[in-house]
Amino acid sequence: MEAFLGGLAILVDPYVMLMVLLGTVLGIFVGALPGISGSTTIALMLPMTIAMGPVPAICFLGAIYCAANFGGSITAIMVNAPGDPSASATALEGFKMAEKGQAGLALGMSAISSAIGGIVSVVVLIFAAPLLARAAYSFGPPEYFALALFGLSMCAAVGGDSALKNLIAAALGLLIATVGMDLTTGVERYAFGVMELSDGIGFVPVLIGLFAVGEMLDQATRRLGKPAIIALDAARVPGWAEMRKCWRSIWLGSGIGTFIGALPALGATTAALIGYNETRRWSKHKHEFGHGSIEGVAGPEAANNAAVGGSMVPTLALGIPGSATTAIILAGLIVQGVRPGPHLFNEQPTLLYAVFASMLAANIFYLVMGLTMAKFFARISLIPPAFLWPSVFALSLIGAYGPNQSMGDVWVMMVAGFVGLLFRRAGFSPAPLIMGLVLGGMVEETLKQSLIIFGDDLTGFLARPIAMTLIVVTLAGLLWPVLARLVRMRRAAA
Amino acid sequence: MTHAGVGGGTDITARMMMVQAPAEFGQEFTVVNRTAGSGAQALQYLASKPADGHTIILVTQTHLLTQLRNANLPQFGDLIPVARATADPQLVLVRRDSPFRTAADLIEAGKTRSLRFGGTHVGGVDHVTIFAFGRAAGLQRPTLVPFRGGGEIVINLVGGNIDTAVVNPGEAEAQLRAGELRPLMSLADTRIAAFGELPTAKELGINATGYTLRGFCVLKGTPEDRVARLEQGLIRAMSGPIYKTYLENTGQAPDSVAGREAWGAQLAGFNNDGREALTALGLLRG
Amino acid sequence: MIRRFGTNQAAALCVALVAAAAFAATYGFDPVPEGLPGLGAVEFPRLICLVMAGMAVLLFLQESAPHDPEVAPPIRGDAIAIFAACLLAVPLMAVIGMLGTIAVFLVVVGRLWGEVRWPMLLAVSLSMTAIIWLVFVKIFRLTLPTGMVFGG
Repeated sequence: MEAFLGGLAILVDPYVMLMVLLGTVLGIFVGALPGISGSTTIALMLPMTIAMGPVPAICFLGAIYCAANFGGSITAIMVNAPGDPSASATALEGFKMAEKGQAGLALGMSAISSAIGGIVSVVVLIFAAPLLARAAYSFGPPEYFALALFGLSMCAAVGGDSALKNLIAAALGLLIATVGMDLTTGVERYAFGVMELSDGIGFVPVLIGLFAVGEMLDQATRRLGKPAIIALDAARVPGWAEMRKCWRSIWLGSGIGTFIGALPALGATTAALIGYNETRRWSKHKHEFGHGSIEGVAGPEAANNAAVGGSMVPTLALGIPGSATTAIILAGLIVQGVRPGPHLFNEQPTLLYAVFASMLAANIFYLVMGLTMAKFFARISLIPPAFLWPSVFALSLIGAYGPNQSMGDVWVMMVAGFVGLLFRRAGFSPAPLIMGLVLGGMVEETLKQSLIIFGDDLTGFLARPIAMTLIVVTLAGLLWPVLARLVRMRRAAA
Repeated sequence: MTHAGVGGGTDITARMMMVQAPAEFGQEFTVVNRTAGSGAQALQYLASKPADGHTIILVTQTHLLTQLRNANLPQFGDLIPVARATADPQLVLVRRDSPFRTAADLIEAGKTRSLRFGGTHVGGVDHVTIFAFGRAAGLQRPTLVPFRGGGEIVINLVGGNIDTAVVNPGEAEAQLRAGELRPLMSLADTRIAAFGELPTAKELGINATGYTLRGFCVLKGTPEDRVARLEQGLIRAMSGPIYKTYLENTGQAPDSVAGREAWGAQLAGFNNDGREALTALGLLRG
Repeated sequence: MIRRFGTNQAAALCVALVAAAAFAATYGFDPVPEGLPGLGAVEFPRLICLVMAGMAVLLFLQESAPHDPEVAPPIRGDAIAIFAACLLAVPLMAVIGMLGTIAVFLVVVGRLWGEVRWPMLLAVSLSMTAIIWLVFVKIFRLTLPTGMVFGG
């Protein structure tokens, strides 16, 4: 308790609070820019934090991490170009809302649900980190395989015209995920001797191409058609009616995000995609999905920010980072002489609570900033398209090139952009493709790892209760609509 | 220039060195990250620059394996080693309740069945180390269970999905302290200060070593005086307090920094091991 | 059975083509080294290709929705010009660098998009390029590709 109060005391330390504020502003800013993600920024800032001392340094880095996840949703909603990969699920409904003139609603809801998701996960982190961390040890390849199947099972329902088209898009994503060196055999697949392809096709350039460039090309074809809907209502922010509607999605997203974030192999992007699937599955307004559903913004945004707190669980409690970003934060901790691990909770609890307190503060900061600036950001939709879309393309170029400094990624983005255009015209949705790409590598890899561990014996899965439970839930989810119809027919006949 | 993505261990090594290098050389340093092709792109980038010592590559064992597998790239002979930045010894670990109480238990078991080792991808650095270790100890060919990185290996080791693994102490620090993992032996040349009780493989009669190596090289043809100047400057830059603290805090051996003689010999040694292992594993073409 | 060759049929053919090409390419993979346990390198991609081909057949048999200009407006010459500008931007980077390309692209495509005021186009292009340079190059120290003629 003493340590807890000691940790909270940093909230009145003006120097630390200034660092958290700076980190939050920087985080929102870089999160919104495609091409610079939270992890890149934290890596670039790392040498600068060495001189700061442990508490302000970690608070600063933590604040960037929290805020960048929220920042990504701004560009995702306004121009369909997720500024941070974790915001890709947000773009699905958020951009549709902006097109309907509800940019302010979408941005506001993103800020609110992000903050709630972030706060929930930090609270869970405070009370349950050591417990949750134990769960990570029970997740081996078979369990991840089952979880990835669970995520993929919803592909058919998400996105375009028909279930068939969604499944085709998902299969395409799975196929793209196989490009590059195969982890378990060392064989290069579909690389054709091109070096850029031997590490696989990057997720970021495909994402930027499908969403942002695809959108720009599509806009180019309808340039002289009827003018885009004027953003009449663009500046309205959510009120109580919206909050009541999204309440369930936010809690669902927060829970899913915290849990998935706590699993070391999964990050905020997966959390957001599964959060989106589940929000849709449990929504009372399913018909709104795909046409700008506010719940479809709230669910994934709560999930990806909850994953931030979640991913700090294995980082702090086990010393094992759950994502690229936490890997760098871990490096930052270690450089400061803080050794994460279970003992951290006994030996340096004050520092730990200071980290938690600063994350809470960062969440509140960006909530306030997000809500006040939503009106300002919403004006982006009023920029004349002749300036807006070429600028989006310029940022997309940098966004694809930036992370790996690779021209190959720029070409991947261009190809993905034209695929995105064709997708739009033929009634396909990029969403299942992205899911296939994110989860596909994991499905194959973990299946192969499991088979090696089980000695090529598929029945090995039967001895893994967690994996079996997940597989049963997946099957139940797939079969439920069919069963429900059978029962109804039986009743009608009786 | 480094082959690693921004923020990985290798990238951070380069950036930590750079904190003090500009003062040593009186000029600016920039890090260029060329990530593609497991170092292949970095090597190509190096070859495209003049051999004047202004472009320095941060080499790891991964580069050597990539070179071995791709004859079109600059080969090991085309590089001049300048200075070693880190040499992180690896430990052979098992989980707390593992039936293998001692190194001898593990070796005995490994002679009657194929042990499941955790490691990075097939044909990667860990694979070569594990192969060399298995052969030196007279084991049945070990089964490699490939994972994406050190963290996943540690989790699966604790979770009981693999029998053992070869891991840097820093990666398993928390689990070693909590007693969830036990070291059986180290693959260092001499005993590691932090694990004074732990025998090395060599003491147990197994002629195998395992290190994670990172260091700087320049392109062949760089004038000798330049190389000498770089060697001195880099070593001095890495002897400063910031780099020293970095090594200490990440649990890496403080005697990591070394001149080109030691660094070159070590690289050459791994180059041979790698060639043998890849050939025996059928991963080397032609 | 199907009365009209529409978008579904065209899409199905494309999907089938991709699946067939990807399936064929698996025969060009290096052989898996002997003695490795578990699944090989080709099984999973081949399975996906087969499933894709099957779904392509199903899609081909589905009646296409009547052409809807709302979903797929006709592609006119001006749109093609914009597409071409996007494609040309990448090789142009090798000549005048990324920043130069962005500056040129903003003017050219802005014009194609229908903005006719030259001063306005130039002002937006220059200020946008300057902001990008300031943020990405100066503050975040990103090395953007430079061209042969014009550094960036």
